Amino acid sequence: MQHTFIEILRRALDEELARDAAVYLLGEDVAAGGAFGVTRGLAQKHGSARVRNTPISEAAITGLATGAALCGLKPVLEIMFIDFATLAMDCLVNQTAKYRYMAGGQLAVPLVVRTQAGAAGGAAAQHSQSLEAWFIHVPGLIVVAPSTPAEAYGLLKSAIRIGEPVLFIEHKRLYTMKGELAEGAELPPIGRARIVRPGTDVTVIAYSAMVQSVLEAARQLAEEGISAEVIDLRTLLPLDMAAIAASVSKTHRALIAHEAVLNGGVGAEIAARIGAELFDELDAPVLRVGCGFAPIPFAPELERALLPGSADLVRAVRQIMGLAR
Amino acid sequence: MPLVAQEIPKVGLVMEEVKVVRWLKNVGDSVAAGEPLLEVETEKSVVEIEAAATGRLNQILVQADERAAVGDQVAWIESAERQGASATTAASRTADPKTVAPTPSAAAMAVRDAERIRSTPVARKLAAEHGIDLGAIAGTGPGGRVQLGDVQRAVDAPRLPKAAARALSPMRRALARAMTLSNATIPQFTVARSVEWTVLQALRGELSAGLPDGSLKISLIDFLLQAVARALIEFPDLNATFSGDPDSADACVIQASGAHIGLVVAVDNGLLVPVIHDVERLGLAEISRRRQECVERGLKGRLKREETEGASLSVSNLGANGPDRFTAIINPPQSAILAVGRQRDCVVARDGAIVVRPLSELTLTVDHRVADGRLASLFLARLVAILEGRDWRLG
Repeated sequence: MQHTFIEILRRALDEELARDAAVYLLGEDVAAGGAFGVTRGLAQKHGSARVRNTPISEAAITGLATGAALCGLKPVLEIMFIDFATLAMDCLVNQTAKYRYMAGGQLAVPLVVRTQAGAAGGAAAQHSQSLEAWFIHVPGLIVVAPSTPAEAYGLLKSAIRIGEPVLFIEHKRLYTMKGELAEGAELPPIGRARIVRPGTDVTVIAYSAMVQSVLEAARQLAEEGISAEVIDLRTLLPLDMAAIAASVSKTHRALIAHEAVLNGGVGAEIAARIGAELFDELDAPVLRVGCGFAPIPFAPELERALLPGSADLVRAVRQIMGLAR
Repeated sequence: MPLVAQEIPKVGLVMEEVKVVRWLKNVGDSVAAGEPLLEVETEKSVVEIEAAATGRLNQILVQADERAAVGDQVAWIESAERQGASATTAASRTADPKTVAPTPSAAAMAVRDAERIRSTPVARKLAAEHGIDLGAIAGTGPGGRVQLGDVQRAVDAPRLPKAAARALSPMRRALARAMTLSNATIPQFTVARSVEWTVLQALRGELSAGLPDGSLKISLIDFLLQAVARALIEFPDLNATFSGDPDSADACVIQASGAHIGLVVAVDNGLLVPVIHDVERLGLAEISRRRQECVERGLKGRLKREETEGASLSVSNLGANGPDRFTAIINPPQSAILAVGRQRDCVVARDGAIVVRPLSELTLTVDHRVADGRLASLFLARLVAILEGRDWRLG
């Protein structure tokens, strides 16, 4: 049976609330279902004590959730839009991410921060950004960004269970995506990438919604006789370099694709590490595809023009293959 | 004090390149003009090069085992003398871009940059694994970049087992040049005949017994040399060499002044052909002495140039373990070569009876421009008659 991304997230939260009494949800409007309805009905089922609305203050509620986690609960905090994670960053960077280290391992912060990222049609400059790169800069955090409903189900459960602070980035464009859920399937481990589509000519590394664009590009490239191997990183921090190395050692070419801008991005980090660790395997320069370096426009036409799509990916792969003009 | 350039003079007719064997003086040593300064290996022998000026050896530019061409400067001698145009001062030479500089010049660096081959890291890795020269691969990537696929195709291409290339020694080069010249320019034919050693074997014992104690042992080759010398004198038309292009007006046959005979001596990775001159005037004992002396000096690389020139015919004897018969190639500018097969007992007919006799097969290769088959076979028949006879000159 097909479920949407939202329904599957809800199911994962529902099951974790039922499985572990320490798990509880908090965030702006979550008792009513949140901005996108992910938590709809969970307050009725698990009680208002475990699905709590908060004031509109990301700094306060991140501190609250961090404190609760330090005291033994397993909060799942929703930050409505990663754009507003800026307000939560002091706590996330200076407190949440540091406690285990500064307490010499005696304390842990089993906190999951769910947040929405990416452009999804007309949300404009303040509600459309992809800011994951800011967080992969912070030792002590885990950053997860699922690409499908089924992946989101397993990864969210793994994030809740890992016992560390996890930033769980949900792409708004994926929310309506439908997918099958393999009942009883093993939960995907945090920190491991997956091969979505095997190939031999070029490795395309992506995560979150960009994986879908990459798969579409790979289908087009296959018609041209180019076999692209698609890697879904799933976890951005820590990075699964072993998976990248295995693939690039096979294809000898790499493209990194993300919706975020290229400057100081996840792609820059991966490209640098490929250059350093896999230099002798490379048969072409490592390329990146990302968003144009500009705020996301409100006008849908401009938004479409700015965001990277499968055509950009096909062009980049051709360039790597030496087929571009 | 001015510096005088020490150059490699042209010593041999075909000498073009030498290898420095050793320096006989060190930097700072006093040298006198005409005094041996260094030893070089030419195509034919090791020769001493004399100092160009009297003074002090200032700098050695070409070290032992390095190569130099004729005319190359190999050292500076600090000297009060002025030696024509080559005398100069260090300062003026330093400004000369052709002077050997201790560091790579900017021009050399530019050349190296231009030779840089654009290639990807993995292409370089695979090429290195298979010992493939990237420069030999046409790159199909952007800007001609050599990519993995280009190297892979080269790896997959059927290849002959890689032969290890070895630089030619001056001797090997001279040999290759002489043999190529011989095969390309000399129309050669061969005549062959058996020689029986029965009489000579008996005589050799008698003659050796008659020599004073401590004398050199006379060997079969000495008899051969004396017999060849006598035959050459009897056949002056064969004792000659061909000179020039047959089409040109100055083409001629040069008559030899005496029986000058080359003796082919095998050395490590090559051969030498010392020449014994005027053999017709020598007795067996003297032939033997001279032969052993020149072979010994040849093996040490100490032959003088004149000791390798002037012959019209050479004798090649591959010894007791050699082949039954073989054909040799004429060593230009000589006009004949006698190949001596090993001595062995053969079943032969003598006076209607089957007997066993010690025989060798003589194969004479002749320059057809100098002589024809009839003359060559008469010469060979006479040579065999001398070898099978009893008429030998000992002293």
